[in-house]
Amino acid sequence: MNLSYRIYYVFLRNLISYKRFILPTFAISLGQPLFYLLTFGIGMGAYMGYMGGKPYLEFLVPGVLASSVMLSATYECLYDTFVKMVHERLYDSLIATPVSVEDVVAGDIVWGAFRGLTSGVLMLVVAMFMGVHPASAGGVVILLALMVFVGVLFSSLSMIVTSFAPNFDFFNYYTELVITPMLFFSGVFFPLDKFPQWMKIFALFMPLTHAVNISRAAFSGESVPGLGLNFLVLLVLEVVAFVVGIKLMKRRLIS
Amino acid sequence: MTVAIAARDLVKKFDDFTAVNGISFDIDEGECFAFLGPNGAGKTTTIKMVHCVSPITSGKVTVFGMRSSLENREIRRLTGVIPQEINLDSGLTVHENLMVFSRFFDIPKHEAKKRVEELLGFVELDNKKHSKIDELSTGMKRRLLIARALLNKPKLIMADEPTTGLDPQARHLIWQRLRLLKSQGTTLILTTQYMEEAEQLCDKLVIMNEGKILIQGSPRQLVADRIGREVVEIRIAKEEDEKLLALVSDSVCGHERAGDTLYFYCSDGRELMKKMIDLDLSNVLNRPATLEDVFLKLTGRSLTE
Repeated sequence: MNLSYRIYYVFLRNLISYKRFILPTFAISLGQPLFYLLTFGIGMGAYMGYMGGKPYLEFLVPGVLASSVMLSATYECLYDTFVKMVHERLYDSLIATPVSVEDVVAGDIVWGAFRGLTSGVLMLVVAMFMGVHPASAGGVVILLALMVFVGVLFSSLSMIVTSFAPNFDFFNYYTELVITPMLFFSGVFFPLDKFPQWMKIFALFMPLTHAVNISRAAFSGESVPGLGLNFLVLLVLEVVAFVVGIKLMKRRLIS
Repeated sequence: MTVAIAARDLVKKFDDFTAVNGISFDIDEGECFAFLGPNGAGKTTTIKMVHCVSPITSGKVTVFGMRSSLENREIRRLTGVIPQEINLDSGLTVHENLMVFSRFFDIPKHEAKKRVEELLGFVELDNKKHSKIDELSTGMKRRLLIARALLNKPKLIMADEPTTGLDPQARHLIWQRLRLLKSQGTTLILTTQYMEEAEQLCDKLVIMNEGKILIQGSPRQLVADRIGREVVEIRIAKEEDEKLLALVSDSVCGHERAGDTLYFYCSDGRELMKKMIDLDLSNVLNRPATLEDVFLKLTGRSLTE
C-alpha cells in the first residue's frame, strides 16, 4: 500500500468542492432518517408504547443514527466517486501528481466517512431536541467514534462496488439488495430476539447489526452482552474492506 | 547535451494486446521531442509509462537518472502533464482548481497564491479567476490545463495532444506558450496527430505505428530523406498511371497512389509541371514536401481503423 499524508490533500479538495453544496446535502442526508424518526418514532410510536423496555422513539433513535451514517457514506462513495472517476476524470489528474492512486481512494474513503459523521451528528442533535440523549458524555464520545468507524466501513464497501460498476444502474443492485434489506435485518426498527434462529444468525452477518448494538449501548449506558464481539467484527470487516476497496479501485484506475 | 529521458526496449502489454512493442529512444534536456502516429499507435501509453502512471511490462525508462515506476512520486513531482482529455475539477472555480492542485505538490500556500496569479496571467485567464469550469470555452480550458501543468515549475512537460479541438487562434497561443517554456530550458514531450504542430514545435520526433517506432530524426531531415523537396499531386484515373509514369520517370524520384490521387516526389517540381502542362492535364498541384507526406507514406494513406 503506497499511502502517504497526501490523503489529507484529497480530503481537502473534497471539502473545498463541498462548501457550495452544504445545505442541499444536509437536506438529503437528513431527509430519509428524519422521515423514519417522525413517522415510525412519533406516529407509530404513539400506538406501540414500549419496545425493548423503553419508549419506541428511544428505541428507534440509536438505530436510525447508525443507519444515517451508513447511508451517507454509502451514497458518497457510490455516486459521487463514480462521477469523479468516470465522468470528470478527476482521479486521472490527481494521480499525475505526487499523489498516489492509493492516496486518492483512501482520501475519498475518509471523505465518505466524514460525510457519514456529519449526517450522524446532525441526527444526534435532532434526537436530542426530541428528548432522546446518550447516557453520558462518555456515550457521546463512543457514538462519535462509532460514526467514524461505520463511515469508513461503508465507504470502503461502496468502493468495492464502485470498482466494478459499468454505470449508475449497477448501484441499484447494491442499494436495493444489500443496503435496504440491511436496514430491516439489523434491529433498527425492532429487536431481533423474536426472529427465528436462522434469521438471527443471518443478522449477525450484517455489519449494521453490530453498529446498532453499540449505538444502543451508548444511549442506554447499559453494557449488553456481545459488545466486545460487535467491536471486533466491525474492526475486522473495516480493515478487510478498506484494503480490498483500495486494491480493486487501483486495478480499475491503473492499466 | 545531457540525456533527460532514456527508454530501452520498452514494452506494454494489455492482456494479449501489445500496445508498445519494444521501443528505445533518448530525449535530451531542453529539447522538444514529439511522438507522432495514428490513433492507437501507442503514443499515450508510452508517455504514461515515462511519467509513472502506468506500469511497465518490460524494459526500462529513466527520467533525470531516476527509474520510472508507479511508486516513483519524485518523477511525478518534477513533471507537468497537459492531458489529452480535459480533466479539470468542475466542482471548483478556476482559481480553486490551481490552488487545490498546488497542494498536491506540497507547494506552501503563500507561494502557491503568487504562482497562481502569475500563471493566470501567463495563459491570459486573469479575468476568469472566479469563473466556474463550465463557463469556459474549450480554448480557455486547454489554457487552464497548461497553467495547472506549470504549478510545480516542472523540468519536464508532457503535452498529450494539447491542441485537439481548438480554433487556429487558440492553437497558436498554445504553441507560443510552449515555445516560450522551451526557451526557458524546459524539456518538452509532445504527442500529436497534427504534423504542422510537430514542425512548429519540435527538434526531434519519432513516428510510431502499431506500437513500434518507424523512424526518428529532426522534422526537416526526415522530410528531405524520405520525400525530397517537393510533391506534385495529380488527380487522374488509376488506369492512366502506367502511361504517365513512363513519360515522367526521368524527372521524379518516387511516386505513390492513394485513392484518386497520384503523388510524385521530386527535388524540383518545375520540370515535372512543364510536362504536365504539355500533356494538358488538369487537377495538378505542385507544393513543398511536408512532414505529413512522410507520415502518410509510412503509416499508409488510407484509413487503418
